Amino acid sequence: MIISELQTDAISELINIAFSRSAASLSDLTASRVDLEVPEVSVHPIANITAALHRFVKGDVATVHQVFTGPVAGDAFLLMNFDGAVHLVELLTNGEVVSKGLGASAREVVTEIGNIVMNACLGVFGNLLHVRFSFSVPRLSLDDLGVMVNSLIVDSNPMQHALVVGARFRLRNSEVTGCLVLVLGIASFELFLQEVEAWAERSLRGGANE
Amino acid sequence: MSKILVVDDSNLARRATRAILEAAGHEVSDAQDGLAAIERYFLDKPELVLLDVTMRDMDGLEVLQRIRSVDPEARIVFVTADVQSSTREMAVAGGASGFVVKPVSSGPLLDAIAEALSGRPA
Repeated sequence: MIISELQTDAISELINIAFSRSAASLSDLTASRVDLEVPEVSVHPIANITAALHRFVKGDVATVHQVFTGPVAGDAFLLMNFDGAVHLVELLTNGEVVSKGLGASAREVVTEIGNIVMNACLGVFGNLLHVRFSFSVPRLSLDDLGVMVNSLIVDSNPMQHALVVGARFRLRNSEVTGCLVLVLGIASFELFLQEVEAWAERSLRGGANE
Repeated sequence: MSKILVVDDSNLARRATRAILEAAGHEVSDAQDGLAAIERYFLDKPELVLLDVTMRDMDGLEVLQRIRSVDPEARIVFVTADVQSSTREMAVAGGASGFVVKPVSSGPLLDAIAEALSGRPA
């Protein structure tokens, strides 16, 4: 998959906009300021994503998975370091102590966080790229990163590619790290890149919101 | 027409903003990080700075503080995707002259620039 310089710049800026909106959603949810570092974006064949994910999350991870359909279709995964997920639950439940395995209500909270963050992010993609996404019901899994990645690779077509966005942010002096992974087939990735390039060209004409 | 410094770590955002400003007749310089922005500000003495918030090493709020600590009259408009109300409040408290939400289109950007240059409050 060859990505031009203009497409790379445009994807980085789109991700910056989308993650800033996601951070604002998280800020509204937790009633806390969210300080977001510049997200890091990379694209990999699905078999080669382990190293990219390892830069941001290790050990136990909470993963929220949603299938999205439409002209650009694929799978979206939000991975959070386990301690970060626990911290978010505590913020949203007024300090309720969270058990190691996450109880049913804590799992619901993490799933809803993932749903809101991914919808905010993909909603920006949809609006700016003029692509409509429909989402499945989000599902949460708690696993070691290695187990999660192995199941992702085994369940995917080897021709699929992953757009990996790593992000670090701070809420009330605690750092939460996470990755958004979008897994797309070749046809969807090519359409995504076409729409990204069209948006970049609109931006350069002063019409980024058209 | 005015001298304007554009500070953004995104190549696309710098190019898009430059295109809008030059089409409107402004003279543009740019910087891709906070330290370069401070250096350019004191070398070029622009009439206005367009400043991103989320950047590596030094964020826009710190750049605002550093520039205005030396030049309290500096006119700085934030151009950012960060829509948290706390960010806008911090920008205004730091003396920002305006706040434009990304992605930018030419109309709202040029309106915010005209307002900042006229000296009206953000």
